[in-house]
Amino acid sequence: MTTSAKKPPGEEDRPLLAITCGGIDFRNPVLTASGTFGYGKEFEGLVPLSCIGGLVTKGISPNPRFGNPAPRICETASGMLNSIGLENVGVGGFASEKLPFLRNCGTKVLVNFFGTTFDEYVECGQQLGRLQGVDGLEMNVSCPNIKAGGIEFGRDPRVLGDLVRACRSVVAKPLWVKLTPNTSDIVALARACAENGADAVSVINTITGMAIDARTRRPRLATVFGGLSGPAIKPIALRMVYQIHRAGIGIPICGIGGIQTGMDAVEFLLAGASTVQVGTQNFIDPACSEHVVREVEEFCRQNSVLDVRELVGALADGA
Amino acid sequence: MRYFDARIIENRALGNGYFVLRLGGCASLSASRPGQFLMLRGDWGRDPLLPRPMSLLSVAPEGRADLLGRSVGRGTKLLESASPGTRVSVLGPLGNGFPDPAASSLDLLVAGGVGMPPLLMQAEHAARRGLVDRCEMIYGGRTSRDLVLLGEMRALGLAPHLSTEDGSVGRRGRVTAALEARIEHHRTTHPEQKLRIMACGPREMLWAVARIAAPHAIECYLSVEEQMACGIGVCLGCAMPARSRPFRYACSEGPVFLASDLVIPPAPGRSVGGAP
Repeated sequence: MTTSAKKPPGEEDRPLLAITCGGIDFRNPVLTASGTFGYGKEFEGLVPLSCIGGLVTKGISPNPRFGNPAPRICETASGMLNSIGLENVGVGGFASEKLPFLRNCGTKVLVNFFGTTFDEYVECGQQLGRLQGVDGLEMNVSCPNIKAGGIEFGRDPRVLGDLVRACRSVVAKPLWVKLTPNTSDIVALARACAENGADAVSVINTITGMAIDARTRRPRLATVFGGLSGPAIKPIALRMVYQIHRAGIGIPICGIGGIQTGMDAVEFLLAGASTVQVGTQNFIDPACSEHVVREVEEFCRQNSVLDVRELVGALADGA
Repeated sequence: MRYFDARIIENRALGNGYFVLRLGGCASLSASRPGQFLMLRGDWGRDPLLPRPMSLLSVAPEGRADLLGRSVGRGTKLLESASPGTRVSVLGPLGNGFPDPAASSLDLLVAGGVGMPPLLMQAEHAARRGLVDRCEMIYGGRTSRDLVLLGEMRALGLAPHLSTEDGSVGRRGRVTAALEARIEHHRTTHPEQKLRIMACGPREMLWAVARIAAPHAIECYLSVEEQMACGIGVCLGCAMPARSRPFRYACSEGPVFLASDLVIPPAPGRSVGGAP
């Protein structure tokens, strides 16, 4: 009753959706995931950006990258594989071509970034963190570390911790880390981020997979392996969010993996996420992020949840 | 470009897996250009997951849009069996489309199999402008059962040059052989005539068309059919190796490309390909 008394007239029965996660105040917990929402402008006219909590841009590297040869994507059972190769316009291109739109887009903007070396990460984070109009950064640590035989930076808690600490030292803005699920111990990775100054962890990035065309006896992706996304990965993502939440690492979680509906988003909140990102569903239904927001609100209303924060980590024991 | 719900108002089977879907409620597509496409998805749950890119076959001002499909995978099989009244989500019109027909050139419309729709739409576009005599349909498939909507072509005033690989109708052989014959004919009879090629079909066919056009210096437009998830330049799945930069995108920069803008692989069995 106290919370509803603060609301403007006519909105007394509207649940509070605003939430703070990883140093950023969001109007609601629904964001869009990196690599599935371009640089935001692509969805102009399809989704009112002012209705979503925030957007995460395509991953940015210090210099432009042109990506992998085709075929780059492949549909799988309730999901898709992609091997785009982190194609992007680079920091300079982002600042000059993409950021002017984002500055006035009406929602919070997190810039996903990466490097192929330790120094590139630091350089990229530092440059992006200084740009006006960027509310926070999300580190993609699923890139191959060229100097360490191509193993993802984010797979080894020690390497990951060092990388987060180095970036933290040059980034004043909120710094999130998007964890790779290609690990046997997701909690160790999340803890390495928390202990080295990250403000939040985004859980999870795509899961490495492959697909084969039996008729041609060839892999379906030019790079053979790709990242699996979509509803097929939701149970894995939920499990990892829940494990990290239960471990109590001290920083919030942004849940990602196969979210298609408001109910999916609520499941992630219950597992312990404070915010969520909608990813592959943006390809299937470009207006989905707005629907997810509306459905979360509807869930709250129907279940007498006055404040969406009540749902975070509110999973009951037992089945 | 808009994202909206439409309804299937008619689903006409043409045999051999081909079907024409007629959608209602598509008034926002009425200004679509030949070569533009839609991302189409039925309300069929999580599998198959992605919408299907489909070329427009025709549009009418009252909000009707026709699409030609062929059931080859799960998504197109579901569309083939969809009943009138079925709701589908539509994102479109997408992509660039073919250049307008022009009185100053003769356009050779080269259609391979289910790649035919944008070319029939281009011919319809020409007919509406009184320029149907400025285009020539060259249409090929494996068998006679792959050549559909011939009545519609003739109704526009076209006399399609047909070819089938099994010789069951028209010229025996590939559509590219028919194209070479038509070029030869025009070069002999009207050497001053400016020719353009507009083609849509399987990738190998398009590459072959480009290799035929290049030595004749014929302006050649290829409408490519690539795998894509979004249709709006976000997933970056439909990367085409290009000349001006490493890749161009079928959805947001195509699907129609000048052949000279793309990297055309050499003909199979040749070690070096210089053209185009």
